[in-house]
Amino acid sequence: MGLKRWLSRQAVARVHVLVVETPGSWATRVAVEQALSRRGWQSAASPADADALLVCGTPGPRLQETIDHVWDQLPGPRARVDAPSPDSALRALEEAETILLDLNRQSDDARHRPTTVTNDDDHSGMEHSGMDMSGPGGIALAAGGPDRDGLEMDVLHLPLGPILQYWPPGLVVRCALQGDVVTDAEVEILEPPTGAEPDESIASLPRRIDVAADILALAGWSDMAANVRYTRDVMIAGADLKHAATQLDRLRTRVGRSRLLRWSLRDLGRVDSAALTEYRLGEDCRGDVYDRLMRLLDLPVEPTDVAIEHSAVVAALPSLISGYDVAAARLIVASHMPLGRLGVVADRPGGGHA
Amino acid sequence: MPDQVIHQVAPGWAVVAVGLVGVFAILAASLDGVLVSRHDGRSSVRGWKKPLDETARLMRQRRRTTLAADSLLWRIGGAGLVVVACLKFAVVPLGQWTLADLAVGIVWFNALDVMVWALVWMIGWGPNSADSLIGGYRFLAQALAYELPLMFALTAPAVAAQSLRVGDVVAAQQGLWFVVWMPIAFAIYCLAVVAFSVWGPFSPAAGADIAGGILAELSGPDRLLVLAGRYALLAAGAAFAVPLFLGGGAGPLLPAWCWVMVKTLILLAALVAIRHRLPHLRADRFVEVGWLILLPAVLLQLLVVAAIVAGRG
Repeated sequence: MGLKRWLSRQAVARVHVLVVETPGSWATRVAVEQALSRRGWQSAASPADADALLVCGTPGPRLQETIDHVWDQLPGPRARVDAPSPDSALRALEEAETILLDLNRQSDDARHRPTTVTNDDDHSGMEHSGMDMSGPGGIALAAGGPDRDGLEMDVLHLPLGPILQYWPPGLVVRCALQGDVVTDAEVEILEPPTGAEPDESIASLPRRIDVAADILALAGWSDMAANVRYTRDVMIAGADLKHAATQLDRLRTRVGRSRLLRWSLRDLGRVDSAALTEYRLGEDCRGDVYDRLMRLLDLPVEPTDVAIEHSAVVAALPSLISGYDVAAARLIVASHMPLGRLGVVADRPGGGHA
Repeated sequence: MPDQVIHQVAPGWAVVAVGLVGVFAILAASLDGVLVSRHDGRSSVRGWKKPLDETARLMRQRRRTTLAADSLLWRIGGAGLVVVACLKFAVVPLGQWTLADLAVGIVWFNALDVMVWALVWMIGWGPNSADSLIGGYRFLAQALAYELPLMFALTAPAVAAQSLRVGDVVAAQQGLWFVVWMPIAFAIYCLAVVAFSVWGPFSPAAGADIAGGILAELSGPDRLLVLAGRYALLAAGAAFAVPLFLGGGAGPLLPAWCWVMVKTLILLAALVAIRHRLPHLRADRFVEVGWLILLPAVLLQLLVVAAIVAGRG
């Protein structure tokens, strides 16, 4: 028992938390990220990697269902906690720690879990009719289809979202893949923003910067993503805006100097004038992922007009990502900033001072 | 000048060799923890503890499986990385001692890093998960780009020493280290080490954009083995560079085995440090670089080396 206790003490020094952001809980998610970093904990990339599941805000029924499903995938010892508002972030983490250290509770949890994996894939809402269900475990076999070179290749279905790191909350993109190339996609907003119109804080600088940090993280430049997030937090704290602006400027220069990044992001998801008109997209969708990233890191001269276009982006999304591989598709989705603003901002950055 | 005769030690010393790989891997993980902690403005003490904390966490975490997983291949892949790293380390001479003084030591190393292809692919394939599978695809694409340049980079020291025996390569570097007159081969070798360790800019196979890719479904001890395997591969790669390019045990004052360790640690630290500093090299774009730039560059290097060797006579 002594060893077990010692082991669990060490283990909670670095808990991996799967953070679920519900639409409209951006500020809470940011507060959770800050709390995680203060404790030296980190965000989990997948349920298998997670010790704790933390839900920011209040999910609607459909998102709740997915969260329950993801909860079943945590290997355990595991803790499930909620942070309904930004100021509850720290408390939620403390609660998670208590649960993870409660050895009796953990062994109870382990005893009452089913030990076999069953096929309950139906939650994804995928059409199984017409598919060959004779695969192992009763799962559908992949059907074939002509790929971009005209060869027959298996088609794989992969839903992106709604619970995914660096992904707009509440969005699901069901992709048909050949290899790792998206051949077709269907978009769904799991939880449409309800009620109030997005307020000005949706286009606020911290949110734009946050999207930029997501793009950098997806591009694999984690140091820079952390720097950008740090600047975001300085801005949210609001104490020294001038310092934050200088910092942002410096980061922008450093990002701009990276040839590797430019080479990696250039020409991905390019939207030209014709496409802008065709899909009725706003000006800030113009260019490729690199252009959009650099624009996000600019200090805005004037507030951009955002209210109209997000539904247009959602509608255009399948065409925008088709033909790209998953890595590029993720970058493209992240770079279309309005998606980051899908959720209505119910809470405000900084927790309370509205 | 130290005695250059290489002695093959008794097989029992393999335990020590495995221990050494373990120590290198732990140091590498610690260093990574420190670098991340310092960058995030937290205390480095917490960073040093990273291997301990993560090991405790993963030892405590339960293993899991997925629906219709190919468990056998999945587990072989997961456990294999550490094994391959140890086998690579077996041909690295520590001063005048080596575990296996193979006549084809360099080919041995190369064969093992081709093995990594299979292992990483099996880790991606095993769990029957789209994210992991995409991770596997990405690694194979990346491997197609780095493997041929790596093979030729390994050939350069062999041509210069006119032997595939690692001990002979060390002996041939008396006076001038190979890194001095074959810098391109050395650079490409280092790049390939980072690539076969699925590390830093070469880790899109385990990228956050696909929920951790090959790591997406791994938990508990299985995950620990794969993560440790990555550090061990990095360590084995750094260690093998020492006899190949960095003069083996040559150096003043310290005994030869000590110099091998010092050089290994320095190179390992450099490889660890680049992790978070660069964006990913996405596999589809890196393939172009591999074939259009790296391969011609290393062939040119090989030509120069061959010409010099022929000229010397």
